[in-house]
Amino acid sequence: MGVGRKLKHWIGDERVDLARSRLHEFAEQSTERHLRLAVTGLSQSGKTIFITSLVHHLLHAHRSGSLPFFEVAASGRVVSSRDLSTASEHPFPLRQALAGLSQDPPQWPESTTGLSEVRLAIRYRRPAGLRRVLGETGTLYLDIIDYPGEWLLDLPLLEMSFEQWCEQQTQLFAGEPRAKVAQGWLAQLGEIDWTAPADPAVLRRLADGFASVLQQLRTGPDGLSLLQPGRAVLPGEYAGSELIELFPLMIDHWPSGEVPAGSYLDLLRSRYDQYCEQIIKPFYSRYFSRFDRQIVLVDCLKTLNRGEACFEDMKAALSAILESFNYGRSGFLRRLFAPRIDKVLFASTKADHVTANQHHNLDRFLELIVEEAQRNIRFDGIETRSLALSSIRSTQAAQAQMDGQVLSCLRGISKENGEEVALFPGEVPTELPGADDWNEERFRFIDFAPRRLPLNDLEAKHHIRLDQVLEYMTGDLFR
Amino acid sequence: MSESKRRQGAVWLDLDKLEAAEQAPKESARVQEVPLDQVVDIADNEGVELIESPAPRRRRGWKKLFGFSLGAVVVTGVGAELYRLLSWGFSIHLGVGIGFSVLLALLAISGGVQIWRSFKGLRQLRDTERLHDRARELLEHSGQGRSAALLAGLERRYQDQAGHSSVIDAIRELDSAYSDREVVQFLSRHALESQDAAARRCVQRYSVESGVMVALSPWATFDMLLVGWRNLRMLREIAGIYGIAPGAAAQWKLLKSVLHGLAFAGASEMAIDAGSAALGSSLTSTLSARAGQGLGAGLFTARTGLQAQKLCRPLPLERDEGRVFDAVAKGIVQRLGGSK
Repeated sequence: MGVGRKLKHWIGDERVDLARSRLHEFAEQSTERHLRLAVTGLSQSGKTIFITSLVHHLLHAHRSGSLPFFEVAASGRVVSSRDLSTASEHPFPLRQALAGLSQDPPQWPESTTGLSEVRLAIRYRRPAGLRRVLGETGTLYLDIIDYPGEWLLDLPLLEMSFEQWCEQQTQLFAGEPRAKVAQGWLAQLGEIDWTAPADPAVLRRLADGFASVLQQLRTGPDGLSLLQPGRAVLPGEYAGSELIELFPLMIDHWPSGEVPAGSYLDLLRSRYDQYCEQIIKPFYSRYFSRFDRQIVLVDCLKTLNRGEACFEDMKAALSAILESFNYGRSGFLRRLFAPRIDKVLFASTKADHVTANQHHNLDRFLELIVEEAQRNIRFDGIETRSLALSSIRSTQAAQAQMDGQVLSCLRGISKENGEEVALFPGEVPTELPGADDWNEERFRFIDFAPRRLPLNDLEAKHHIRLDQVLEYMTGDLFR
Repeated sequence: MSESKRRQGAVWLDLDKLEAAEQAPKESARVQEVPLDQVVDIADNEGVELIESPAPRRRRGWKKLFGFSLGAVVVTGVGAELYRLLSWGFSIHLGVGIGFSVLLALLAISGGVQIWRSFKGLRQLRDTERLHDRARELLEHSGQGRSAALLAGLERRYQDQAGHSSVIDAIRELDSAYSDREVVQFLSRHALESQDAAARRCVQRYSVESGVMVALSPWATFDMLLVGWRNLRMLREIAGIYGIAPGAAAQWKLLKSVLHGLAFAGASEMAIDAGSAALGSSLTSTLSARAGQGLGAGLFTARTGLQAQKLCRPLPLERDEGRVFDAVAKGIVQRLGGSK
């Protein structure tokens, strides 16, 4: 038995692996600068396209001039950057995404179904000053991971027991639109004696039923996002596994007294614990516990199109998710041993889908959605900011004469039918619209197809505020 | 109120009716697009802004009267004297008279040119101040559509000046999605890059030179004259760098504002100054007292130069100034060390 094996035996596999990766990181970070950027967002909020565009612009930062607000690039201090993702187990499919965006007609990348990593090394010239002592050039390693937003919603489960989760879900499913969609399935739950010995086939049927309820809620008119467990919506590598045959027990009368071993209730509870231990925890401790900075992407326009239920649901989902990250001041030593997030940026994506004079309103509306989460984060003394951004600009600003007045509008290609349209999509409200205002007449934020993104010769007009995101997130590390 | 405020609903538009605002991305059309839809807003804003406090009006009356009467007395006095000179010249000989008139004409023409120049400089200074104020205001504002006046002003100011094409280029490069604050930040960073670098070099050079001169010159009164002379030269050069015609009136006004700025410096600048003084003392403890004086004079010149740069630059300066002070202090000590 080798020493490593013995250690593992004593302390547990996971901890040894964790300690080893920490040590590895320590060695790396003490010599070079390292930044783990958390790109957080619900599904369809534009994480993949954000990462694609960010990496693409950074890889060309040394010559393109497409990032005027990113100081290190604008002042020509970026020597070169290199994509190190190929060394990873699951490299980010940058090439495919870029190929899709640069072909004719260009296409948005496919929705993400699995986890992937990007690692970028950026070599820069240090500005004149004390840090020059360390050498004329420095290297910053930037780590980003991409994952399906559905899985993010599993993180809050780590803090809850099975009973707490069931109670919370019962409350959720008491409200519309969940109650209506889940009506039939809930009735099935009532027919079963939960203390009786479990029949796996029945559980499987119920789990499948719950998964289809979640799918309906997700794709339905309200487009809900607070759907747990996340693997039931998108199983990933666990497709067909028993581990994810899990659903919350939403019954009026919780069976009292001792729970017999091997009963339905016992089995469900142990599955929940397994789900937390074997699926969420490794995912969390491997990828989510060691971030330095965070950007939270929110699709505000979706909530405006879908209505109040979607708005409230997204708000709840975001606050739940953001509670599972570590926030706090992150000094040099902290960053080495137990990094915490010390800067958070809230960004509303698809800023190109509204006219430029509405960007300010979009910021304000975003603050409505993330209000609670932002308050908690600020309480920890963390710097936050909100911003309207567009990773890839798919529309052109234009003007039209309407009834004798000039109206600014957008011109782009509709994603739905591929035809060119011109549209003033309505004003973004700065406070929560009343019940009467959620209607088709007031806003119609249609989805646009992307405009072609060149593989070279990037310009500032290919994105909106991506450079400011970079400056805010990484600017101080290049000084 | 703005009419676009009224229109809240979504509107589909006919493609043919569109005026593509960004058809030709490098043309100034893109920039023009921002103002057009919210012109009313700017007018609203100006209305609020222009309400002045009427209090100091009364005092002005006497001052104006004094200036006017003094001017009238001097003009009539000089005019009468000149007339007597001319008539005396003609009474002696026709040639002498013609000689006098030619001299007087030369004087009048050159004087006129001087006055015109200095008025131009004054006007440019005033313009700069106005642009500066407007930019500062826009920095506080997070909406969109108020930057048109600033852009038009900048464009007018730098349009026909050689060596300032970077300003016009930067205005062309502005993105239609930028908010007013971003417009100012973008221009402040990218429009005046070369000018800023030149101004910083100029300040540094003059400060180090005057510091070294003071440290080496043996007469105390001479020092004062030297520093004053270097400072005036520097002011003129900085004004020139930012495209302000260096007339006497403009220079005088600039000097006045610079001194005013120095005298009523804010707490932060005081702090910088205290810092540089501390730095000075630690450096000069190894040098003679005279070298310390030189360092003080150099830092004073640097402060004057930065103040002048702030006044001549049409956009607010956002970078830190500590670096210039450091560089000046180091430069003086190095030169003195080398010359010893």
